[in-house]
Amino acid sequence: MSSYQITLFIGTIITILFIVVSVVKTKMNIRYAIIWMLWGIIMLVLSLYPGIIDKLSVVLGIAVPVNTVFLIFIFLLYAISFYLFGKVSDLSNEIKNLTYQVSVLKKNIEDKND
Amino acid sequence: MKILVIIPCYNEEKNIQTLVEKIKKLDYDYLVINDASTDNSPKLLDKYRLNHLDLINNIGLAGVTQIGFKYAVDHGYGGAIVIDGDGQHPPAYIKTLLDKVAEGYDYVVGSRFVDKPKPFTMRMIGSRILSFMIKIKTGRTVTDPTSGMRAMGGEVLKDFADNMNFVAEPDALCHVLKRKFKYTEVQVDMEDRVAGESYFVNPLRSVKFMVNVIISILFFQW
Repeated sequence: MSSYQITLFIGTIITILFIVVSVVKTKMNIRYAIIWMLWGIIMLVLSLYPGIIDKLSVVLGIAVPVNTVFLIFIFLLYAISFYLFGKVSDLSNEIKNLTYQVSVLKKNIEDKND
Repeated sequence: MKILVIIPCYNEEKNIQTLVEKIKKLDYDYLVINDASTDNSPKLLDKYRLNHLDLINNIGLAGVTQIGFKYAVDHGYGGAIVIDGDGQHPPAYIKTLLDKVAEGYDYVVGSRFVDKPKPFTMRMIGSRILSFMIKIKTGRTVTDPTSGMRAMGGEVLKDFADNMNFVAEPDALCHVLKRKFKYTEVQVDMEDRVAGESYFVNPLRSVKFMVNVIISILFFQW
């Protein structure tokens, strides 16, 4: 095992434990934890079989395999932040909806009381 | 013991008629929860004067059932049963499940495969995988992990209403087994969907469902 492999492996195990503890202890929503768990599992596989990264580097024509790791990580972060932007935009729509509905209800009650 | 029948409903305008007939035969209190349907369901629910909640935003089945559980706890019900609004769960079995709850079981699932063999369709292979996962995690045999027809007593109801952190039915079941609640299953025969489209027509969605539920069972249910 090379040292970057060992670092990756230990880092991944800690990450997975952290995710599990976060979900179980702080009751983080499982739906949002799943993507991180999946990513943890993929990292674990990559740290155990670094040959996958080497082959991928050859296929992609990247000279230094660690750059392939960076490439994949950056892409994932990109994808997740895009997904989060989508979620935030859904949420702000829903809040707008809720605000409208609540204020209509409030108005109805106040009109009744007058 | 007061029992609430919770009926999630999303775009079921073609099934509402059968639903109404079903409900009329019920001796129990019920609550239809309309998950911001985009078809005529909300109007039909008003027209037939069914006891229902209209949600403002679409929150998905898991959220809808949790709202049902919260409503049941707030209104002093000592138990609840969930049946689908799409006509797949014959109301005749409501009593069978509730009898088990009265016997002292905390969580009762209506299973299609207690006495009957499980076919080898794609969907049932998925069901087998989930049964296997629950077996590894809890050591218990579950014949129909994805069944949406389940009844629960007061303790599970309160647990679900307060903190429900599940993706779907199979990991909820795993949670119940992990907490050592008394669990049993009874044989029910489900009808094929009368009308409307199932959530699982799309194969990508099925894969997503399987991955989510398996990760939840293996890593997040302790």
